Amino acid sequence: MDVETSLDAGTVDVDDLTMTFDSGDDGTTAIEDLSLDVESGEFVSIVGASGCGKSTLLYLIAGFLTPTEGTIRVDGDPVLGSGPDRGVVFQEYALFPWRTVLENVTYGLEEQGVPKDERREQAMRYIRMMGLEGAEDLYPKELSGGMKQRVALARTLVIDPKILLMDEPFGALDQPLRESLQDHLLDIWREVEKTVIFVTHQVEEAAYLSERVIVLGGSPGTVLDEIEVDIDRTKDRSDVVTADAYNETRRRIRDTMHAEADY
Amino acid sequence: MAAGDAIRSTRPGGRLGRVTAALVQWLPLGIVAVLWEALSRFLVGGDLLPPVSQVVVNATDLLLQGEVLGHLSVSLFRVAIGLSASIVGGVLLGIGMAQFRAVEDFFDVLLTMTYAVPKTALVPLAILWLGVGTGTAVLVIFLGTLVPIVVNTYNGASSVDEKLRWSAEMLGTSDRRRLRKVVLPATYPAIFTGVQQAIPFSFIVLISAEMVASRRGMGNLILSYGQLGNYDQMFAVIFLFSLVAFATVGVFNRLRSSVLAWE
Repeated sequence: MDVETSLDAGTVDVDDLTMTFDSGDDGTTAIEDLSLDVESGEFVSIVGASGCGKSTLLYLIAGFLTPTEGTIRVDGDPVLGSGPDRGVVFQEYALFPWRTVLENVTYGLEEQGVPKDERREQAMRYIRMMGLEGAEDLYPKELSGGMKQRVALARTLVIDPKILLMDEPFGALDQPLRESLQDHLLDIWREVEKTVIFVTHQVEEAAYLSERVIVLGGSPGTVLDEIEVDIDRTKDRSDVVTADAYNETRRRIRDTMHAEADY
Repeated sequence: MAAGDAIRSTRPGGRLGRVTAALVQWLPLGIVAVLWEALSRFLVGGDLLPPVSQVVVNATDLLLQGEVLGHLSVSLFRVAIGLSASIVGGVLLGIGMAQFRAVEDFFDVLLTMTYAVPKTALVPLAILWLGVGTGTAVLVIFLGTLVPIVVNTYNGASSVDEKLRWSAEMLGTSDRRRLRKVVLPATYPAIFTGVQQAIPFSFIVLISAEMVASRRGMGNLILSYGQLGNYDQMFAVIFLFSLVAFATVGVFNRLRSSVLAWE
């Protein structure tokens, strides 16, 4: 129980989670009896076909939605709502369009009452980390998709969350850009030592990024498979994508998803 | 962004492109002027329809004499007060309706019921309450412009992107602060649209009110010249007033693109 050596990253425990959305007389159950644990500092991907409840699961962990049954704990404490300990990155970026890049990144600091000079200084650190120098005074509409997602990531990282929840963050970007942002994300993950829960429908993305892949499927959604991915992540992309562990993981995720689709 | 701007921005750029665009824009007005001139000179006769060239000359004379400026300032003052009151009231009401179910239920019926009532029909009632003069004009302008502002504000405030609200929440914005930090800025474009729709209404209603219930103002001037059979002057006043209305719309569009540069 040495506080000094504990990472600035959180654990997530999901127990027997069920989520039913009210729609008219009978509700739609998106998730049923789902349990999973994420360790501190771990990079976990949740992969599954659309409609398997993976985004719903992420929004439940974020605290935007309240579960019908079951519990979610972050660092042992039950989730009662959203909070700055869990930073979320959306596929649609969800930047504040009326704020410049800098103002988007300082938003969370403003809400925490950080003094103005300090806000700017801290924001600039993350703007530089994301390679956004020179774009501080642009509005979101003036940015490309890739830049918007970098701003969204900077906006979330600046409030120093323990857990990063990412909902298909690179889903709207084309292949080369997606790969470069994936590598950037891995660099950042190593540097800031956060727990990352990364939702995607892309098998390659899940296998490439994560230490562990959780395959969701079914209707309502449950955990179909869990795969540890044993890859040396200090290596280059070209080495990773030719590694047996990467290809074995890809094959296994794909098989699980296909078996589910055929069923 | 106004529809005109959107069309213009898709046109080929460059000086020539802009000159062509301007010519095309003013062409319909030119055609109307030529037809008007021809109609008055060769068909109807100047007594019933003074030629447009004569109207322009008369309007310039009226301006130089200066008397019309007094009436114009009275009219503009009434528009400014009526419209300001309706912006304040309309924005409060629209946002209130979007935020609170009870407010929505209460005013929804009221607005639907009064929506189709021609606001100029309220002039006699307004005279009964407030007498002949500024009070009546202001009240009728307020009532005549309230609905477009309420409706646009309500639509804007009730369709704020859920992901934007979640982003703010996750970055530490409390429910209480959400209105000021997210809902209001996200609703500005809709508010501007409402005011843009309200401005022409305010001028229409102003003239109606001043014709019946005022001893000053542009509406009163138009009616006075008409009753005296002084159609040259009457047309000149209408012409001047149209110019002022047109300029007001233009100034407001400029205001929008500078205030909402992020759009």
